[in-house]
Amino acid sequence: MRVIAVIPAYNEANRITAVVERTQKFVDDVIVADDGSTDDTASVARRAGATVVSHPQNCGAGAATMTGIEAARALGADVIVTLDADEQHDPCDIPSLLQPILGDRADIVFANRFGQKNRIPFIRRFFNAVGNLVTFAATGRWVDDSQCGFKVLGPRAVHEVRIRMSGYEFCTELVREAVQHKWRIAEVPIKVLYSQYTLAKGQSFANGVKTALRILLRSFLR
Amino acid sequence: MAVMFPLTPYQIVAPLISLLAILYVWSLVMRQKKTIWEGTLWTIFWTAIAIIALFPSVLDYLTFAMGFKDRQNALLITFLGILSFIVFALIVRLEELEQKQTKLMRSMALKDAGLDGKCHCGGECGRQ
Repeated sequence: MRVIAVIPAYNEANRITAVVERTQKFVDDVIVADDGSTDDTASVARRAGATVVSHPQNCGAGAATMTGIEAARALGADVIVTLDADEQHDPCDIPSLLQPILGDRADIVFANRFGQKNRIPFIRRFFNAVGNLVTFAATGRWVDDSQCGFKVLGPRAVHEVRIRMSGYEFCTELVREAVQHKWRIAEVPIKVLYSQYTLAKGQSFANGVKTALRILLRSFLR
Repeated sequence: MAVMFPLTPYQIVAPLISLLAILYVWSLVMRQKKTIWEGTLWTIFWTAIAIIALFPSVLDYLTFAMGFKDRQNALLITFLGILSFIVFALIVRLEELEQKQTKLMRSMALKDAGLDGKCHCGGECGRQ
């Protein structure tokens, strides 16, 4: 199976090299979906050996992820791994996330940052719990860590997935896609590496509320 | 709580529209365009519309709680409703425009990377 990693990135020139190089050890190809960065993210990622697709303007994490998925399909991906560009996710977890797909036990695998002992700030835990509740309200399916960007899509999901939401709401939309297409879901505990940088980059409360409202509005607009 | 006869035209039309909407929603669920959860949410919404039309007295509690007893307040509430609808329509339009913009950005990005038109799924993934 051809496994391709998709890394949506926005202004991550200082970190993208390390993420790409560490990810390359576990996959066949790495695609960086540069979401209209104003720094050198695209050129730095290209130098690190990634295939780069660049949005001319910033469109949001969901839009960048879908662009990366389209690029991966074009490159013949059977399995797609998505992970964040801010070094929050450890690429060493990729093999364990791939297991349910390779064993044909799941069509989509959600990483779970709360499945093992991780030092996660209370405020992060709280926002994630709210995100899980909103996701459950919109999709009717409970996922322990619905807002984590670390996921693996199996062949069926790669073929059928279609993310329409542009922002962080796409995490909830992926759960909805899983429910709608009746994909088999697996959840795998992972390590998470929170740094000062990662914490500072996190979503604000206002953004979280906006994301929640967009999810609920979207579930009615469909 | 009982239905008052004769029924007004609204009391006939609203439940009929609700019934049609519910049937339509579940046809979408059957065709896998909506999830069962979304179908349930819409069913609750349209059932509420039908119940309010057939049994307007259920709103008595609402009018008591919100206090719109006179015509001026009723007018204000009506206009608020209309404004809410306009805002909703604008949001829908904005969402459509945002999606069009994203599609454009995506096709430009894939074209620049030399990956346009290479999809291996036979067009089923929805790529234009």
